[in-house]
Amino acid sequence: MPLEGPARIVSELTTRGYNAEREAVTLIAAAERPQPTLERVVDALPEGTLVVRSEHVRSVLEESESASGESSSRSSDSPPASSDSPASPSDSIGHDRSSGANDPTDAPLDDPSVSTGDSSRTSSSSKTDSPVETMGSTDRFDRAGDASSRSLEIANDMTGESTGTGEYKDFVAVFRDRLERLGSKLRGRFNHRPASAIQSMPGGSEAAMVGLVNDIRSTASGHWLIELEDATGTFPWLVMKDREYAGLVEELLCDEVLAMEGTLADDSGIAFVDSMSFPDVPRTYEPSTANRHVQAALISDVHVGSQEFMADAWNRFADWLHTAEAQHVEYLLLAGDMVEGVGVYPDQDEELDIVDIYDQYEAFNEHLKRVPGDLDIVMIPGNHDAVRLAEPQPGFDERLRNIMSAHDPQIVSNPSTVTLEGVSVLMYHGVSLDEVIAELPEEKANYDEPHKAMYQLLKKRHVAPQFGGHTRLAPEKEDYLIIEDVPDIFHTGHVHKLGFGKYHNVLAINSGCWQAQTEFQKSVNIDPDAGYAPIVDLDTLDVTVQKFS
Amino acid sequence: MREADRQYFSRLESQLDEAFDVAETAKQRGADPEPEVEIPVAKDMADRVENILGIDGVAERVRELEGQMSREEAALALAEDFAEGDVGDYETRAGKIEGAVRTAVALLTEGVVAAPIEGIDKVELLENDDGTEFVNVYYAGPIRSAGGTAQALSVLVGDYTRALVGIDQYNARSEEVERYAEEISLYDKETGLQYSPKDPETKFIAKHLPIMLDGEATGDEEVSGFRDLERVDTNSARGGMCLVLAEGIALKAPKIQRYTSQLEEIDWPWLQDLIDGNYYEDDGDDEDTTDESEANADDETDTDGEADAEAAGDEDGPLPESAGPVRPDPSKKFLRDLIAGRPVFSHPSAKGGFRLRYGRSRNHGFATGGVHPATMHLVDDFLATGTQIKTERPGKAHGVVPVDSIEGPTVKLANGDVRRIDDPEEALEIRNGVEEILDIGEYLVNYGEFVENNHPLAPASYVFEWWIQDMDEAGADAQALLDDPRIDAEHPPAETALEWAEEYDAPLHPEYTYLWHDLAVDDFCALAEAVANARIENAGETLVVERSETVRDALETIIVEHRQREDRLEVDDWLPLARTLGVVRDEAGELTRTWTDDDLSERARTWGRSEKTDSGGERDSSGGENAIEAVNEVAPFTVRERAPTRIGNRMGRPEKSESRDLSPAVHTLFPIGEAGGAQRDIAKAGKHADTMSDTPGVVEIQIGRQRCVSCETETFKNRCPDCGARTEPDYRCPSCDSAIEPDEAGRVECDRCDTEATCVEPREIDLNEEYRDALETVGERENAFDILKGVKGLTSADKIPEPMEKGILRAKHDVSSFKDGTVRYDMTDLPVTSVRASELDVDVGQLQALGYEEDIHGEALVHEDQLVELKVQDIVLSDGAAEHMLQTADFIDDLLEQYYGLEPFYELEEREELVGELVFGMAPHTSAATVGRVIGFTSAAVGYAHPYFHAAKRRNCDGDEDCVMLLMDGLLNFSMSFLPDQRGGKMDAPLVMSSRIDPSEIDDEAHNIDVVSRYPREFYEATLEMADPGEVDVQIAEETLGTDQEYTGFEHTHDTSDIAMGPDLSAYKTLGSMMDKMDAQLELSRKLEAVDETDVAERVIEYHFLPDLIGNLRAFSRQETRCLDCGEKFRRMPLTETCRECGGRVNLTVHQGSVNKYMQTAIEVAEEYDCRPYTKQRLEVLEKSLESIFENDKNKQSGIEDFM
Repeated sequence: MPLEGPARIVSELTTRGYNAEREAVTLIAAAERPQPTLERVVDALPEGTLVVRSEHVRSVLEESESASGESSSRSSDSPPASSDSPASPSDSIGHDRSSGANDPTDAPLDDPSVSTGDSSRTSSSSKTDSPVETMGSTDRFDRAGDASSRSLEIANDMTGESTGTGEYKDFVAVFRDRLERLGSKLRGRFNHRPASAIQSMPGGSEAAMVGLVNDIRSTASGHWLIELEDATGTFPWLVMKDREYAGLVEELLCDEVLAMEGTLADDSGIAFVDSMSFPDVPRTYEPSTANRHVQAALISDVHVGSQEFMADAWNRFADWLHTAEAQHVEYLLLAGDMVEGVGVYPDQDEELDIVDIYDQYEAFNEHLKRVPGDLDIVMIPGNHDAVRLAEPQPGFDERLRNIMSAHDPQIVSNPSTVTLEGVSVLMYHGVSLDEVIAELPEEKANYDEPHKAMYQLLKKRHVAPQFGGHTRLAPEKEDYLIIEDVPDIFHTGHVHKLGFGKYHNVLAINSGCWQAQTEFQKSVNIDPDAGYAPIVDLDTLDVTVQKFS
Repeated sequence: MREADRQYFSRLESQLDEAFDVAETAKQRGADPEPEVEIPVAKDMADRVENILGIDGVAERVRELEGQMSREEAALALAEDFAEGDVGDYETRAGKIEGAVRTAVALLTEGVVAAPIEGIDKVELLENDDGTEFVNVYYAGPIRSAGGTAQALSVLVGDYTRALVGIDQYNARSEEVERYAEEISLYDKETGLQYSPKDPETKFIAKHLPIMLDGEATGDEEVSGFRDLERVDTNSARGGMCLVLAEGIALKAPKIQRYTSQLEEIDWPWLQDLIDGNYYEDDGDDEDTTDESEANADDETDTDGEADAEAAGDEDGPLPESAGPVRPDPSKKFLRDLIAGRPVFSHPSAKGGFRLRYGRSRNHGFATGGVHPATMHLVDDFLATGTQIKTERPGKAHGVVPVDSIEGPTVKLANGDVRRIDDPEEALEIRNGVEEILDIGEYLVNYGEFVENNHPLAPASYVFEWWIQDMDEAGADAQALLDDPRIDAEHPPAETALEWAEEYDAPLHPEYTYLWHDLAVDDFCALAEAVANARIENAGETLVVERSETVRDALETIIVEHRQREDRLEVDDWLPLARTLGVVRDEAGELTRTWTDDDLSERARTWGRSEKTDSGGERDSSGGENAIEAVNEVAPFTVRERAPTRIGNRMGRPEKSESRDLSPAVHTLFPIGEAGGAQRDIAKAGKHADTMSDTPGVVEIQIGRQRCVSCETETFKNRCPDCGARTEPDYRCPSCDSAIEPDEAGRVECDRCDTEATCVEPREIDLNEEYRDALETVGERENAFDILKGVKGLTSADKIPEPMEKGILRAKHDVSSFKDGTVRYDMTDLPVTSVRASELDVDVGQLQALGYEEDIHGEALVHEDQLVELKVQDIVLSDGAAEHMLQTADFIDDLLEQYYGLEPFYELEEREELVGELVFGMAPHTSAATVGRVIGFTSAAVGYAHPYFHAAKRRNCDGDEDCVMLLMDGLLNFSMSFLPDQRGGKMDAPLVMSSRIDPSEIDDEAHNIDVVSRYPREFYEATLEMADPGEVDVQIAEETLGTDQEYTGFEHTHDTSDIAMGPDLSAYKTLGSMMDKMDAQLELSRKLEAVDETDVAERVIEYHFLPDLIGNLRAFSRQETRCLDCGEKFRRMPLTETCRECGGRVNLTVHQGSVNKYMQTAIEVAEEYDCRPYTKQRLEVLEKSLESIFENDKNKQSGIEDFM
């Protein structure tokens, strides 16, 4: 939200841990653009500052006057840190390309239709049509950062490690691994017993159990019966409809790991639930940040080859990455669906712009070439890509890797965790979001706020808990879909909606897409957020959304 | 009605009465659920409607109204009665509407189908946003059986009654409108609709509907966009609603409009916009939607992506109308969903495909197509009598019937000879040597078919029956020609044919008219040149042409029979060919061409020029593709187009003739739980004990509690085990346990607790005792049968078991019971209107005994091969059905003797004794049986009967199948009490029987059968203009309705020597594995000139292999597991690894083997038949997926070479 009133400024500063002098607040509020001003004030605060004073503000304001334009005009519109009020895309999208057109440092490559600010500058520019490769050499710059300070580590990549052979025991092993590893996050907190032991405990005793949700049923009288399963068997837990935990039942998905505590019924055949716990992210979780001001662009769902692929928007994005405004963007993360694929749905060939799957990847590679060569790129496959649909999905095979060679990207499995200068980003394409949205109540997960569905996955510490429904599982030697370590950023795509927010201080981002609304989406009432690029400041985990469509 | 017909029906009815008497006596004595026959006889439709609905007074009112108005109008008049309260005993307004809607559907479906009881769940009143009330009709899946018109009219009647009882219209909320659109697409995707309205169309309808359409969820897939709506209970697709909206209202809008325009009370002005397609403008973004509709229009005409090229060609230089022949547009629809093993016989309108011939053979009409038996053999036996084929036109599907009075196929043998094969024996002899099927032969379609489908008449082939009328017109005495014993007018010698053409200036005889329209003009010129340069040998008999590819191709294209030698081609009977080519022989015997290429007019030279430029470029692209005009310029007589219309088709489902068994087969509807093992073996259950301490055979079962009326004994049997009196179900309220008596409507509700009472309870039954007792009652020993199979549990509401004695006797005679207690045999339906004793394996005496006295010409019936006109309820059984009926008759006789203690009824020794016995015919999804009489037998695997008989069951003959039951079996063993207590449970059960067929009360599709012995010349000429079928005058059965002639006068234009010819079974059924079938299918596609084998391979992969692979792969990664020992299913693999119930071994339900069984085959086929890269890539991506899932990256399977 724009920071209209002093009250909002105070609250914004408070959420970031600062107090403020009244005069400082007034100064910020009086500034032409209070929000960016506030951002810069905060950025410029000396380490250890607790109270924002008027002098801090003044120095920032003077500084920006001397610089004839503010490159920060659309940087950092950070979402409130509270998980309860996540920023929705429309809030930050106001900062579109046109607002930057007055910036002299901005590369003069603006598409005239977008660059409404100053037509004379656009027309005077003779470089509008110059080839991408040469642009950097004239009035471009090198990436601000020093390549040596970059770091990029991959974890949980299972590419080339697919050892499952689709046997019954492989499936059993995966689920046992899930219970073992996620259960370990809960076991310490409870005096838990295996299901078989609980069955033989005397009636009326207190019991706790950690297990996979096997079944959720409502009883005739409106209570809930939840069957938990562990390696010894199952035990039914009754959640009374008027107890405080009843509200949580509708959030449950089969096969997620839970702990339940309660009292056994007289015949020990069932237990009444007193509390319910999820592996969850600790409320006190403190994310890591980079030691310098560096940014990552988080995108997904490019869908090259589709008739709906928005080449113009993509080009504007790629060109923007060459501008000074994007000088801090040093990492590009792609969360799947590089291409539209073949045979994803019936008669797809009639709606393809490029019918040949390899040509689609070639074309994607051409588009990728357009982004600056000094970006570090990481990509995972999605459900439209030419890899297996069952998750975890290994990274692309040799043939596709050879095609997608531009800028030597890192190609890893879906999901994978990439750590950028200490900031860990869990990348997952997001097929399970459909299921979370379908199964959970509207207010807890919906397509307009995809990050809320992501919060649920973080809470369950698993990217695709439910088996047997929408998401497909390929059994491997371990459950690669577990969120073993809490990430600093959780990045998904797939639903073609932009949304981000923080859950227990973890930044959840669902990037939009680069494909305009398809006939199918029209028919099911989905209006995609196409042509946006969320940019994350790795030093603050703030998000800015750039619009290119 | 004629006296003969009256006698016929009274005979059937008295025979029925006799059987009824026996059955009633038996029922009084036995321990059946009811002490009487449970199938009421309905003499007419009004009776059936009342019986099915169970609303008193309806029959009487229907009879009153029937004379005065059409059935649709009667439905509306009845709606008024319901609204007024004159008919039906309904207190609420919703009830009145419900009664009216149900009655309308029953009336429009002739009281035959279950739709009125099963397809309409309820009607309720809900509130609009402005507080007014509106009507909500709940439809269920079985509404499907009503058909589109009745579905649509049910909405109209609902609205009409709504207006009469004073309820407001429904105002759909915008999210409800959107929901309809999404849901219908979803249903179409999941289940498939005959007609799938586009979203704007659905929304338009939803917005304007005056009543709300709702219904039960029928599928598992849920909508994703418009969920959890307040007034829609489910997020799944509501199948009944989707059918009514799409196949009812959207598809039948013109029909409903006819009625709305007559009614003042209801006004549906929006129907006109719907019909005109004016539903885009109120969408707001009309630009988008019209684009879309245009794009879709393109898709429909050409789905293979050539659309653009062709459309562009059209726009650039549209040919003047006269530049090409009149042809119907090819349609590819029938090729959709092609599956492996069911071959394509001809691509759409392709050269070499089936040639359309008009006419009706005596075993033809009512959605069937006549094929020459030689063709059936030459397509590698894939076609047999009764095989269904999907056709390009006039309808969607046909049942195949053998007709040998049409032309057979023309083939090229391995030695290069080209021969036409008109004899099935010859077809079998030469079959192995066939290299190519140049022409697949003629395809007989009757005129009525075009009427029924309202399809413009496609240009007719030039055939004998047309030619003879041309001769007559030209002044020849056609009758004299036909009567002259020295002349075979249908197959005259070449000289005679030429003489006739010249003498009378009539078109050349079809025997010598070749397929000139398939030959390019340039090739025509080349052929003329070659013939002019040919030699004559063999005393003038044989024309010897120098062999060249062009000439050979030309002769093969126009299908001239010839022999091929190393350097020459030999044509016999060559004179008409030469003359047609404008080549004459002078007195010296020299051949001279009378014309040069330049003599041809521009029009003839470019006739039928294709828009596409030739890719090869060998040929002058300006030349026409059709030489018929050129022929007519150079030939000294008129030459008509031999086969202007080709009909594409492919195999649908195979014919069927087999007994209907539940799976697993069941001998008796007696519950035994799990005790009998997977086989439900009662003897085994009698010895079963869970533990050592249990008494063997004592099993707890959910069963209905009965109480003896006289001595109060509690039992589960229909007769008291103590005093032998009949018992009654003992209903108790589950809450207060008070005994409840059923009310008049049969409902058992506890007034105090407002809950439904039940008589079902778990009860311990000693199966061993029951089994022994039953054996003793009927005096059988255990070795009388191999195994006696019961059921796991009963699905009926009261769970009343069948007396086990019946099962013992069924097992003894190796017949099995259907869910309603009857023994059934399924056969594909085919029509026949005249039969010969010889083909039915009966003698003249037997026919005479059944009342057949004269043949179709009015001559006394004396020979076995005289044709007699089939009586309307007489049916022909397949050999298998006859065998099965004999077994059933033996079972019934034993049942009467050993169980009911009566005399045997049938006492049949030979199958010929079955002739004259009565049976029930009954179709799936219906609830009324029709009485039929056995007249004979056929070796074809089908049930031949009068088209009216099939129509009375609401079947046509496009590959549909239904069952026959032996009359006494139905009377004795059917009980409503066995029917499942669930949606659709009352379908497929004989709730009522029709004893006689009234032609006015059957599905009117049957009235569109033509009943003439020849089509007039005007008809053939009209086809050349593609006239509307209504514009020509050919008598159809409709015209005799209500007259004395309504049961007679079914003449035919073509005879066939036997109604069973060609293979008895389709190769699809005789070939073993799916792979064998597919290999044969692809092999055949290579042989057939009219089939593009690449396209076939492509479609098999696209519609069969890929969906199978993708589906199984998806199933694999989200599968259930099952315990191998106890059968327990688990949604997910249990963490215990072993079964949680029994500790047994648990395993996957979808294995690697079932996922990738078609993978290699698909890849090989794609490679061998040169499929598109898109298809190959899809396979490639899938193959990689399979590898990734089923192979260990660290331990890749090594090839065999690693071990060498």
